[in-house]
Amino acid sequence: MDYLPLFFDLKGKDCLLVGGGTIATRKARLLNKAGAIIHVVAPEVEPELQLLVQQSKGHIVHQFYDASFLNGKSLVISATDERDINQQVAKDCHQRRLPVNVVDNPDLCSVIMPAIVDRSPLVIGIASGGEAPVLARKIRTQLETSIPAQYGELAKLASQFRQSVKEAFTSEDERRRFWENVLNGEIAEQVLSGNAGQAAAMLQEKIQQRDLARGGEVYLVGAGPGDPDLLTFKAVRLMQQAEVVLYDRLVSPPILEMVRRDAERVYVGKQRAQHTMSQQSINELLLSYAQQGKRVLRLKGGDPFIFGRGGEEIDLLAANNIPFQVVPGITAASGCASYAGIPLTHRDHSHSVRFITGHMKEGDINYPWNEFVDNSQTLVFYMGLAGLSTICSKLIEHGKPGDTPAALIERGTLPEQKNHISTLEKLPAYVDSHEVHAPTLLIIGNVVKLHSSLNWYKK
Amino acid sequence: MQSVNENQRKAGRISLVGAGPGDPDLLTVKAMKAINSADLIFFDQLVSAEIRALFPQGKPAFYVGKQKNKHSFTQEQINRLIVLKAQQGLHVVRLKGGDPFVFGRGGEELLQAASAGVEVDVVPGITAASGCTTAASIPLTHRGLSQACTFITAHAEKDLTLDWSALARLDQTLVIYMGISRASFIRDQLLCAGMKASTPIAIIENGCRQNQREILGCLNDLEVLVEVHAVTSPAIIVVGDVVLFKAQLQRAQASASAHVSGSDDDDVGEALLSRPCA
Repeated sequence: MDYLPLFFDLKGKDCLLVGGGTIATRKARLLNKAGAIIHVVAPEVEPELQLLVQQSKGHIVHQFYDASFLNGKSLVISATDERDINQQVAKDCHQRRLPVNVVDNPDLCSVIMPAIVDRSPLVIGIASGGEAPVLARKIRTQLETSIPAQYGELAKLASQFRQSVKEAFTSEDERRRFWENVLNGEIAEQVLSGNAGQAAAMLQEKIQQRDLARGGEVYLVGAGPGDPDLLTFKAVRLMQQAEVVLYDRLVSPPILEMVRRDAERVYVGKQRAQHTMSQQSINELLLSYAQQGKRVLRLKGGDPFIFGRGGEEIDLLAANNIPFQVVPGITAASGCASYAGIPLTHRDHSHSVRFITGHMKEGDINYPWNEFVDNSQTLVFYMGLAGLSTICSKLIEHGKPGDTPAALIERGTLPEQKNHISTLEKLPAYVDSHEVHAPTLLIIGNVVKLHSSLNWYKK
Repeated sequence: MQSVNENQRKAGRISLVGAGPGDPDLLTVKAMKAINSADLIFFDQLVSAEIRALFPQGKPAFYVGKQKNKHSFTQEQINRLIVLKAQQGLHVVRLKGGDPFVFGRGGEELLQAASAGVEVDVVPGITAASGCTTAASIPLTHRGLSQACTFITAHAEKDLTLDWSALARLDQTLVIYMGISRASFIRDQLLCAGMKASTPIAIIENGCRQNQREILGCLNDLEVLVEVHAVTSPAIIVVGDVVLFKAQLQRAQASASAHVSGSDDDDVGEALLSRPCA
């Protein structure tokens, strides 16, 4: 270990910043957040830096650096682009045993500045000893992704109730179990959803009842169209938290990989023609796991509330007083459109977009076809492969021009994505002559023309 | 310092990135990766402060948002600016609230870039219609209530070309973006096209943000509700029977908790169900 990580309490301490440019300003922002009194020595000082110094009740000296400025300082940061000055500052500080940081020059530093994830009061610093700043930033990105922005609020809540939990539970083991339940359960989720007040009330009640029991909970989560990078932070977090996961065919294998390793996996997928499990049984299964006190993840392709039957699943939970949350996902229409370079709306081509399920039951032609002919509206059919020729011929029959551009996006957002671009008239024959696999999404309208200019994915 | 040879200069590119409806937790992993690898970020006013707080320290980020009646940049200027920066070899992230391909005018920005030969990519985001309705417990489609959903915008620089009679059909959910300032126009058009005055509606203001507000009522009262509750943008209007689902859900929860604790939970959903509508 080349450096010992320590956290510096700078509140009300005098710190010297040598330099008045952009980099010095950036460092001053951090010092300001930490409550330091900022003093700057530099011939010229940027306006924002002047303001920060003023706010911190420090001083600016419009001069060149000399060692007398070091007197009474707790930390020194040198942020000039003059090598000689940086070296002089470092030398003077080393002589005085004064902690010094020289920006972008680890050899001259006695303390280095880490990459920071700030969820105050929770603060994470990542350092690579100046060897691999890119790696440190990469780790920072990963942490930013996995630690929600509201995490600081959670830390505040925990510290606020720490004492009363200590009084309610005498054994350390009980306290640990209690906090584990709180931080992994509904109370934490309330905080992370921005309801800190309600979370505090729930926590208060849990402490009063000395409640160590774990309540079950259901997360109904949209997994998006397939690319694991299109998961939301919230989805990723809940996937790590669940003990049981119920998933279906539209959840791609790389996404399933990201679910907590030891979680129980239950396939409840439906395939056209061969239903593996009825919707009713899925609803009941969710309820039963939750009633056993489990944290249950219901992972669905796309968005749970857009042809995802999410409403039916939470209906039964609500009636049984099971806490649940619904997390929206990127719906297939958005994902496929983006990856195919087809804007769903465009001011010259389309002022509205309609999502329709193309999954037709045998002989079901119960669509208001005559409403679909408006040429300034983009039509998107989900699961339209089996009904493709019916859809195209019905639209033409009801007056939509046969040369209306139409695109069938196969396995959108996945590495295997294929864009089949044609017209209403010709698409069915085109698809017949190619091997096309579900899932597919059908986009019809003039916006499809933009694909030839905007196609970027896998180019 | 050696000057870099012209043809060795790295090629710039533009990422058009959806930031989702406002909650930083609903940002995608891919969007965050783009933000982190950007040399330069241009964002508009629908990108929430909580999301802006995730920009890395010192990352140059510029506001190019538009507000009604006080355009700070024209669309044309933005288009030119981002292309110019990419041509200078920078990775430009154009961050937009919601999804860039759903009323985000992302297509226009991308077309300009593509025609200038700049490399582009697109990161979809959760569009407001999806994020806000989920946060309000309103499914966009639901068996027996809605078989389809349609998104429209009521704010356009050119004349709107909308087939109101098709939109007025009740077997679908209608979500209107940027419709607050044209509430009376929307109400009149839908009523004229034959939609029932009692059709349930929800107005969701600041959806997926700390200060989210939901106002439920019926189509006939749309304009009044906007006025009485002083609704401001960003807000979406949801029209259709799915709005009743929220009430149904709240009723189920209320009776379940009444069963447990004997409480008697009367709320807006309950009121809505029993409310007589003109």
